[in-house]
Amino acid sequence: MNILEATKIRKSYGNKVNRQEVLKGIDISIGKGEFVSIMGASGSGKTTLLNVLSTIDHASEGSIQIEGNEMTRMKEKQLAEFRKIHLGFIFQEYNLLDTLTVKENILLPLSITKLPKKKAEDKFTALARGLGILEIAHKYPNEISGGQKQRTSAARAFIHEPSIIFADEPTGALDSKSASDLLNKLSELNRERQSTIAMVTHDPTAASFCSRVIFIKDGQVYTQLHKGDQSRKTFFDDIIKTQGVLGGVQNEH
Amino acid sequence: MNINVLIFRNLKKNLKNYYLYVFALVFSVALYFSFVTLQYDPALDVAKGTIKGGAAMRSASILLVAIVAVFLLYANTIFIKRRSKEIGLFQLIGMTKSKIFRILSIENLILYFSSMAVGIFVGFTLSKLALMILFKITAVDTAATLQFSTEAFIQTLAVFAVIYLMILAMNYLFIRKQSILSLFNLTASTENKVKKTSKFEIVIGIAGLVLIGSGYYVSSKLFDGDFGGMDGLFIAMAYTLGSVIIGTYLFYKGSVSFIANLIRKKKNGHLAVHEVLSLSSIQFRLKSNAMLLTIITSVSALAIGLLSLSYISYYSAEKVARDYVPEDFALTDTTTADQFKQSLEAEAIDYKETRIDVIQVKFDVSDIMDTELADLPADDMELPVISERSVDDIDVSAEETLFTGISSVLEKIITIKDSGNIKMLGKTEVIPQKYIGMEKEFVVSSYFTNGGLPIAVVDESIFEILKQDLDPEVQKKSVLYIGISIVDKDKLEQANELFTNMQLQESNPYLNESRLDISNNQKNGMGLIMFIVGFLGLTFLITSGCILYFKQMGESDEEKPTYTILRKLGFTQADLLKGIRLKQLFNFGIPLIVGLAHSYFAVQSGWFLFGTELWAPMFIVMGIYAVLYSIFGLLSILYSKKVIKQAL
Repeated sequence: MNILEATKIRKSYGNKVNRQEVLKGIDISIGKGEFVSIMGASGSGKTTLLNVLSTIDHASEGSIQIEGNEMTRMKEKQLAEFRKIHLGFIFQEYNLLDTLTVKENILLPLSITKLPKKKAEDKFTALARGLGILEIAHKYPNEISGGQKQRTSAARAFIHEPSIIFADEPTGALDSKSASDLLNKLSELNRERQSTIAMVTHDPTAASFCSRVIFIKDGQVYTQLHKGDQSRKTFFDDIIKTQGVLGGVQNEH
Repeated sequence: MNINVLIFRNLKKNLKNYYLYVFALVFSVALYFSFVTLQYDPALDVAKGTIKGGAAMRSASILLVAIVAVFLLYANTIFIKRRSKEIGLFQLIGMTKSKIFRILSIENLILYFSSMAVGIFVGFTLSKLALMILFKITAVDTAATLQFSTEAFIQTLAVFAVIYLMILAMNYLFIRKQSILSLFNLTASTENKVKKTSKFEIVIGIAGLVLIGSGYYVSSKLFDGDFGGMDGLFIAMAYTLGSVIIGTYLFYKGSVSFIANLIRKKKNGHLAVHEVLSLSSIQFRLKSNAMLLTIITSVSALAIGLLSLSYISYYSAEKVARDYVPEDFALTDTTTADQFKQSLEAEAIDYKETRIDVIQVKFDVSDIMDTELADLPADDMELPVISERSVDDIDVSAEETLFTGISSVLEKIITIKDSGNIKMLGKTEVIPQKYIGMEKEFVVSSYFTNGGLPIAVVDESIFEILKQDLDPEVQKKSVLYIGISIVDKDKLEQANELFTNMQLQESNPYLNESRLDISNNQKNGMGLIMFIVGFLGLTFLITSGCILYFKQMGESDEEKPTYTILRKLGFTQADLLKGIRLKQLFNFGIPLIVGLAHSYFAVQSGWFLFGTELWAPMFIVMGIYAVLYSIFGLLSILYSKKVIKQAL
């Protein structure tokens, strides 16, 4: 069963005279429990794609269905409501609220649900323990490290058990140790909770934690790689190879 | 592109940013100009009345300059900070600081002086309105005509030119101090450091609440006689003032965040989005504005307090006049009264006459009076005495005495029991009586009551005995009160003119009095004070409201990233706006409520010295204040709404 089903998405910026097409008809589907990563060079449109898929930005054309709901026809307010309930987000720059403690930040998405306090507390404890941030629950974001911030951000994305989680370069601002810590945790959560994750990254190591990698080039899907049964190491090598083919400036002569 | 084009384009682009600055300027100039126009207007001499009035206007105009100058300088700091990036950019492309300063100065000059021209025009229109209000409230009966005053114009020009130079100096210092880097980082560096609430803060928070509370407590006891003598009273007042002001500062510094923190602790992490935007913001931001908020709160409390008191005094003018002169006119000898009556009859003005025999008797009231006052000994008090026959609805037996008429000051200072035993000390005889109570109404004029002492009403038989046994030492020149009231109130003015023409008041103003004169005199004096205080209070209110609004604009801009995050997470604009509303309710509501509470206790402690009515005048003043203040809160919400909308 597919959680996300996007067909022929186009996105262009600018006016009629000066039009810049960023996405040129992309088809993507993501199944339940999948951990998908979207890769591409800078300017390939991968972040725009994620923004469009996650309803933060509007698609110019095409249809996006998440759990059978058509996103492109929803009004601004409905979209916000949908995001609040069905989507989770992890951003490169963490996007935690400075004035809230780690715990308050994580519990924020639950504030709109009618979940009893006791249950919310249990969920929080389980998740925070799993991510190793239970000890810092009462600290403010400026008192903790980048890795801890990103794990807090991840906890916030998982707490309300959304249909799908979008992660935009989650390891972009982290050192390699924190990055692999985070990715291990993410794939753990993906396995244990059957959560669906779509991650944008340009880091092959990060991508190798996923079950499928989609390559984007110049606003179009270039190719896909499935991990299958191979080890992370061989999958990583595959990714590197594909990236090599993909990257580089086209020879114009 | 040469520098002139740059200046012009900058100006055009920044006008949107500057509209509030322009508003602030126009407003300040208009207020100042209209005030100074009034000050120089010859028509105002009537309202000013005395030299004191003129001096009051002059000192008020100096105070006005101070308020306006501080306000404009403050507004300027906010707006120049907003342009720090632009200044950095100019520097980056190689412009010298003096050149940047020149650009800014010329830009400012155009903005400043064109706003000033508008302000003077508005001010001139405003001054006519102000003059009409002033004449109305000081009960001066002249048509309000107004000429454009060159003196006022020059004075306004001079004052604002000086303020302009001060602004220039400030801009110069600002530009000189900045390096390219710090200019770019300015907005980031002013962001507050978020810290845990420390133990020290909790102590400060509790101390603030305790200090304010104790100040309030002392103020309510100020005139209860607990603080003996002038020294005691002075110390108590100084303590009240000090503890409340320091308490207010600590309140903003610690108490607010302490309370917000308590609420958050209780929530244990489960915060709704509107709480996120209100509570956490209040907790960290109010603290950094503690000094500003303390000044705003204290001065606005002062303004509300003074305005309430002068309005109480004004509002009570007629009531006080009634206490002094029970009928329309009070006379004390038959010849003058006959003269006055003749002239009334000549003009065909109907009147009613009341004659009351009043004698002065010493009383021993130590049994029913608890308070000891040095100049009002309880066992040897001179009070006016009248017979029950003189008043219609009082009936006492031969053993009973009723008191009637007590001024609000006396009522507050002394406590009199509901009943008890008193003694009348005649020249030879002592008559014991039963005191049976106190009525409000004064029945004879202030000449007999020594300005507000109660009148003893006794049985006719006792009155006769007392009359035979008079102590000549305590008697007044007259023992007869003649009250004349005009039947047709429309003719009161006419009668009053006749009364004034007789020039009765020159020898001893208290012998013969007119109620209308007393009430108008009071209105005249208090009206001018009220006008000045009101003018200054309004200026201060609007300027401080503007400052808070500027601050909130800045905060909204700084909080924009937060709005962005929340909107990305899926919180709707309506969700966020709910939080913003709550936040502004706190941001404007807390200083407003603290200011109102301060002024309430200030007024409560001493209002009776000013008049007889407390609630109506105080609530009217406070109501107007609260409404005007809320407007700025609403403006802030509207601005935040705009920022939220742009956030995603």
